[in-house]
Amino acid sequence: MLSSIGDFLSNGSNIAFFIFALFAIGGAVFMISFTRVVHMVTALTFTFLSLAGLFVLLQAEFVAFVQVLIYAGAITILMIFGIMMTRHDNEEEQPIRPAHNVWLGIGCVGLFAVLFYAIQHSDFTPGTFDPGMDNTLAIGTLLYNQYVILFELMSVLLTVAFIGAVIIAKREED
Amino acid sequence: MVSDYSQYAWLIPLFPLLSFLILTAFGRQTKEFGVYISIVAGFISFVIALLIFFERLGGNMENYTWNQFEWLKVGDFSLSMGFEVTNLNALMLVIVTLVSLVVNIYSKGYMHDDDRITVFFSYVALFTFSMLGLVISVNVLMFYIFWELVGVCSFLLVGFWYFKPEAKAAAKKAFIVTRIGDVGLFIGMLLLFWYMPAHALDFTSIHNAIMDAKIPGNIVTLIAILIFVGAIGKSGQFPLHTWLPDAMEGPTPISALIHAATMVAAGVYLVARTYDIFSASPTAMTVVAVIGGFTAIFAATIGVAQNDIKRILAYSTVSQLGYMMLALGIGAYTAGIFHLFTHAFFKALLFLGSGSVIHAVHTQDIHEMGGLAKKMKVTTWTFAIGALALSGIVPFSGFWSKDAILSAAWHGHPVLFWVGLIAAFFTAFYMSRLFFCVFAGKAPNGQKAHESPFSMTMPLVVLAVLALLAGFVFTPFNPWMGTWLTGDAVDEDANWAVMILSTLVGFAGIGLGWLMYGKRSIPVDFISGKAPWLHTLLYRKYFIDELYDVVFVRSLKRIGQWFNRFDDYVVDGAVRALARGGFAIGQLGTRLQNGQVQSYGLIMLLGLLILALVLAGGRFI
Amino acid sequence: MGMVISPYLTLAAILFCIGLYGALSKKSAIVVLLSIELMLNAANLNLVAFAKLGVNPSLTGQIFSLFTITVAAAEAAVGIAILILLFRNKGTADVVQMDTMKQ
Repeated sequence: MLSSIGDFLSNGSNIAFFIFALFAIGGAVFMISFTRVVHMVTALTFTFLSLAGLFVLLQAEFVAFVQVLIYAGAITILMIFGIMMTRHDNEEEQPIRPAHNVWLGIGCVGLFAVLFYAIQHSDFTPGTFDPGMDNTLAIGTLLYNQYVILFELMSVLLTVAFIGAVIIAKREED
Repeated sequence: MVSDYSQYAWLIPLFPLLSFLILTAFGRQTKEFGVYISIVAGFISFVIALLIFFERLGGNMENYTWNQFEWLKVGDFSLSMGFEVTNLNALMLVIVTLVSLVVNIYSKGYMHDDDRITVFFSYVALFTFSMLGLVISVNVLMFYIFWELVGVCSFLLVGFWYFKPEAKAAAKKAFIVTRIGDVGLFIGMLLLFWYMPAHALDFTSIHNAIMDAKIPGNIVTLIAILIFVGAIGKSGQFPLHTWLPDAMEGPTPISALIHAATMVAAGVYLVARTYDIFSASPTAMTVVAVIGGFTAIFAATIGVAQNDIKRILAYSTVSQLGYMMLALGIGAYTAGIFHLFTHAFFKALLFLGSGSVIHAVHTQDIHEMGGLAKKMKVTTWTFAIGALALSGIVPFSGFWSKDAILSAAWHGHPVLFWVGLIAAFFTAFYMSRLFFCVFAGKAPNGQKAHESPFSMTMPLVVLAVLALLAGFVFTPFNPWMGTWLTGDAVDEDANWAVMILSTLVGFAGIGLGWLMYGKRSIPVDFISGKAPWLHTLLYRKYFIDELYDVVFVRSLKRIGQWFNRFDDYVVDGAVRALARGGFAIGQLGTRLQNGQVQSYGLIMLLGLLILALVLAGGRFI
Repeated sequence: MGMVISPYLTLAAILFCIGLYGALSKKSAIVVLLSIELMLNAANLNLVAFAKLGVNPSLTGQIFSLFTITVAAAEAAVGIAILILLFRNKGTADVVQMDTMKQ
């Protein structure tokens, strides 16, 4: 068992995975356990960033780049704006629903157990992956050829969503 | 000879049924008009019945049987419905339609002020339909159906004034006590069904099977006695007689129609209809004769001490029905039917007369009446005719029929003869007591009586004429009715000794009654003063009701209470627990629907988990 | 020793479960939204991992995750907008008090 961990840690990419995973989980756990909302957002940013690192490990540089831009950048900022727009007593009160939280804990652990069991008992024989010379170029080519309709649909969705967000959030008296 | 009209006999019950349906559907709107519908329907039925009767009188007609309507088919067994007309049926049809018509007309006057008069008439129509259906039934099952129907009608009509607690109790009692007898009849019918060849239930097959001795002898006895139990219940024979006097709580026309002339005679008719079974079993015949004789004298003695005018007549009815049973039991078939025939007229007459009296003085206690003879001439005269007929005085109808029974008993049944004779004495006595108390003497202070309207006196006159003349169809000198009913030749048999004895007894009873209540030369408490216990015993009807109350009613009530408790705690408890469980689940449901998305999400998560476990669970097992 | 996929999947499962717990337990609507983002990210990690280490590796997985990120961004924007509107009407961002569905 120890030797297998030693083997695992002898590989550089494995060490990187280990560190990133640690950060990701740590950020998530902190997000749950912090009491102030701003701290939570900060903790989650760590998770987003370490996930970007994991994407790099998986040879998905463009996705990692987008992850940093959108999640760590845009969404986090959006959340902070949201916090500023709403009044928070900043203190996440102690849960007053013990039964709810106990059942929720059981449910989450149970779901993880099911997923873990499925992962352990599935056989994924990896195929060969050719990342190509330039990941960004390859993705761009695909986006503008094979997935061009989806891409355009996405742009329409984004536009609609943002216009909708503006209309919803704007003041009634305007 | 084939009868032309007999094939239309099915029309007879149809008109009362039609009138019942019309009155039930449009009762509220018709009011006065509905009464006429009922009377007209009764009249048409009567006319058809008369046609059939007179046609059959003309010659030796064969029985007409129509049995084509297949009602039930189970495997090889099929049950047909239809109707049958024999001479006995034709006679009964005339009796029932005539009394029913007369009572309909009478009720128009008697029930005039009642708000529910159309309901009353619809019940009467339903009863007439059922009774006529019973008369022309072609098989035992059909007979039983109509038998129960008349029971229901009796229940409805006894309890017609349901706001009176006595009427309610009487209706229930009538229904339950007759039901005890009906159970016997039902079991008898099932036995008959079981032992009959090919499970046939129609009267013709029964006749043939008994003639060919297809059924073992002891079974025949059992069946006969069980059928007789049904007759005991319906005809108010001892020991199931208690309901009949109580049934007098119903309107008086009903007492005349149902509880004197027709329905209570159905028991006698049942025995007559299944007479083949009885003839095949001497034991059953003896049982019928003994119970009939005992009831005749038993009820007559009770009648002596009663004060309620209708109850006296009711006990008289019980007693006279006992006579009929006695006659059937000793083999005097014609005499029994003949007495049924005459009794229907004079007892209906007496009841309608008493109804006229009650209508006038608004009481039923004979000691609160008196001197009505001057004020109500028609009622008095007709009532007198009825009373004389019942007492068995020459030449009224009751004399001939009673004489026929007594002279039949004279041959070989001395005990029953003397029983019948003594009962005849009591009959004459209580009738004269009743008559002199009500019509003679002085009127109590402030009583304003007046003669009843025409619609009530007219039926009295009609019935009085019949009570006077009906006896001449079967006199010892002219016994053609016996030939007509049974098909065998009946000899002229004038038994002078019996005739003289019964006349003497009748006059003795009347004379004693006149001395005690008319002339009052013998003090009224002549006997009751010396033996008060005797008077109490008779007045309380031999404590039969009290005995039943202690033996059956209370113990059954106790059992019923236990069952009730069981029902309350165990059955209802289970149901309540179930309901509470459902309620709790519902409350849980309302708590689940708290509007919070997070709770919903949690439920979904748990549901997903359970689903995954259930689906994957198969792998581990 | 080559790379295997199960550590990535396990990590994604852990993140997803933590996100689920947060989404269903936290009272602040902002934190609920954050937790949903975390769950989406866990799904993204799965997509990218399968794109490299799955049975049929291809760039499609990455493109799919790009779309997911886009949808997540749109969802976050609309979610925050609704949240602000709710806050303006009800004066609170507490999800426990948002129980209008009860009626």
